[in-house]
Amino acid sequence: MSGDVLQGFLQAVQPSSLVATAIGSMLGIATGMIPGMTISTGIIIVLPLTFVLDPNVSIALLLGLYVGGMMGGSFSAILLNIPGTPSAAATALDGHPLVVRGEAGRALGVAIVASFLGGLFSFLCLFLIAPNLADLALGFRAPDLFSLVFLGLTIICSFAAKSLIKGLLSALIGLAIVSVGQDPVMGSARFTFGDPNLLSGIQFLTALIGLFAVPELIRNVDLKTVGAATNAAAMKLRGILPSLADLRRIRLPVGIGSVIGTFLGILPGAGGPIAAFISYDYAQKATKRSDEFGNGAIEGIAAPESANNAVTGGALVPMMTLGIPGDPVTAILIGALLVHGLAPGPLLFIERADFAYGLIFSFFWANIFNLIIAFSGLRLLVKLIAMPKTILMPAIAVLCVVGSFALRNSIFDVYVMFAFGLLGIAMKWFEIPVVPLLLALVLGRPLEEHLRIALTGSQGDVSVFFTSPFSVLFLSLAAFSVGWTVLSSRRSGSAVAKQNTRS
Amino acid sequence: MTFHASVRFLIGALCVVGLSAANGQFPEQPIEFVIPFAAGGGADIEGRTLAEEMSAHLGVPVVPVNRAGAGGAVAYTHVNNAPPDGYTVVWNSNSILTVTNLGNVSFGYDSLDHVGRVEYQPMVFAVSSRSDWTDFGEFLADCQANPNRYKVANSGTGSATHLGALALMTAAGCEVIHLPIGIQRRNSTVLSGEADAMMAPLTGAINLARANRFRLLLTLSTERNPVIPDVPFAAESGIPVDFDVFRGLSVPGGTPPEIMNTLATAMTRAAQSEAFTSLASEVGFTVAPLGVEAFKELLASEDDKVAAIVRDAGLNEE
Repeated sequence: MSGDVLQGFLQAVQPSSLVATAIGSMLGIATGMIPGMTISTGIIIVLPLTFVLDPNVSIALLLGLYVGGMMGGSFSAILLNIPGTPSAAATALDGHPLVVRGEAGRALGVAIVASFLGGLFSFLCLFLIAPNLADLALGFRAPDLFSLVFLGLTIICSFAAKSLIKGLLSALIGLAIVSVGQDPVMGSARFTFGDPNLLSGIQFLTALIGLFAVPELIRNVDLKTVGAATNAAAMKLRGILPSLADLRRIRLPVGIGSVIGTFLGILPGAGGPIAAFISYDYAQKATKRSDEFGNGAIEGIAAPESANNAVTGGALVPMMTLGIPGDPVTAILIGALLVHGLAPGPLLFIERADFAYGLIFSFFWANIFNLIIAFSGLRLLVKLIAMPKTILMPAIAVLCVVGSFALRNSIFDVYVMFAFGLLGIAMKWFEIPVVPLLLALVLGRPLEEHLRIALTGSQGDVSVFFTSPFSVLFLSLAAFSVGWTVLSSRRSGSAVAKQNTRS
Repeated sequence: MTFHASVRFLIGALCVVGLSAANGQFPEQPIEFVIPFAAGGGADIEGRTLAEEMSAHLGVPVVPVNRAGAGGAVAYTHVNNAPPDGYTVVWNSNSILTVTNLGNVSFGYDSLDHVGRVEYQPMVFAVSSRSDWTDFGEFLADCQANPNRYKVANSGTGSATHLGALALMTAAGCEVIHLPIGIQRRNSTVLSGEADAMMAPLTGAINLARANRFRLLLTLSTERNPVIPDVPFAAESGIPVDFDVFRGLSVPGGTPPEIMNTLATAMTRAAQSEAFTSLASEVGFTVAPLGVEAFKELLASEDDKVAAIVRDAGLNEE
């Protein structure tokens, strides 16, 4: 056992593995930054290359790409307000306001450190208690998953602080959009108007690009305002390494994000975006500066960033112990390993324990390289937004189109992206918050799916939601979440009223 | 490269281009190899390996493109609308019969032309190794004593695994709750006990069976599978079901026969390549190429089966 751990460690520190991890991490950051290029897309592109490499070298490359992609997605979310990956959507909420204020370096520094810590925490969980965690995750049945997703949905209240009505309206639009396509249980087509392109519904990333990027592009047509902001941003790059005071401030949010991220990573079908939003919400409730959230609070970057990187280690837990993917990327990783004749699952630790531990240590190195590469490449990155708008904006516009096309190789998705762009502009016009819509898009399908599977299994008996301890826990947390919002808005009712008149 | 060398290279390249244009010999440009399911799954891994080998035989890149969604409806629609020039092929499976019979696309499976079958694999009925059932007869006895109590997970409503489970339960005469849980959680629900059993392609269950977490009780094949020689097939237990998962290649309807032949030759050679056959023995499918005519007959008989199951279960949209 310990011999295998040591051998795994040695495998992971072989020069060829380390170089592969570093290259993967670089590719990942680049892939993650480009809107529409998901981590899965990046991995599929390098996949044929890994067929000819040694299995431990190729898995090092792929893990580097996985971890790097999570971070890269946040860079574009912070710098351009365009999340490169769905998991980075929550990071944009506080990351971009900091950039506008001219603190791009600080925002990125916090994001990098938080990502690293989240990744490290999930590595420790993977290394030390993976089998226990996998057993715990297996205890989650459809009713528990429904309640968990329902809890996620109550976060909408937190993002609708200014006007509950507008927040709920936004969520309803989102839920209506989610109902397009085949229903997740019976497969009957809904609102597809006979068009097979709509059968699999609206792709989340396509909607995300449209909602975030298009209004941003339109806003940038007004060159005067934007020019000022980015010049300031480029100038204040000095403080990339987070100050001690900042590090102290993000302790709690990183803790929250790491735990939530790792745990939701383990549950098949929960995933990065949900983890990021739930952590953001809990960090907001747990810190004293909750009123700064949404206007550039570093806690609001730290929580989702640590969460989405912790998801990566979490998703590796069921993959390594059971051979069950935690998210789409680990599904592809399983495929990549199968080509080498290695099947992730319980047998891997018995038959090829050295390789299994090598994989776990490669994940560790991926996080280290990610930290180093991100910090050393940061100056270059920030120069990106200091580029003349006349070059940058058309480039982003092209990326949006290419990105939404590339997701499914479908020109139809490009039209969908533009339609969401119009929706985003309209919502901005009416001051309807976009985040509840996004949450509804992420959560709507799993909500319906788990509800209906749970009820199919119980033959329509609703009590299943109140007999499982996990489900009861999540439902009470959901009640707490709503109660908290109502209470705190009543307490600071006058303050909110003042804010409303000001904005 | 010197100037002379580059001129020579250019002339050479022009000649090649000119010649092949004059001959019009297929193929002279990359071929899009459409995979109807997401990256990472069984269909994807097997398809990619085949595409790689096909491009070695055809001399042009055969590029795998995942067009996932709606159980294959998105991919088959794309190929059905593509020009019949051989440059768009789709890595088909039973899904081409399910989407057409469920009414998720507006055309029939015979609207496409079919190059041939490459492989097939059995569908298995699996339970958790912690359950008390050691053979299908025991499950059947419990199931018939307690109708509508046991839950059987499948990969989604209308998927091949769902239809397989429906066919098996109808033939065996027992009533169960079918849980269309999806590929992602199908295996874990059986491990956790949320579902009592599941129907899965062999490749989806083999690893957990080897690790002693699943017990495979039955296959829906007509013969024992060399990868799992101890598992009986349905007819052995006196249950008249025969429902294998097959995969092969289809092209848009109206593709010229010469092009079909070129593709079929490349497909067969790729299927018999070292890389593909070793993947087969690893994950548990059987390489068994069938030509255009034989595959046409197979499709017709399988289509009748699927149509009957869909009709009996009332799954059709209309």
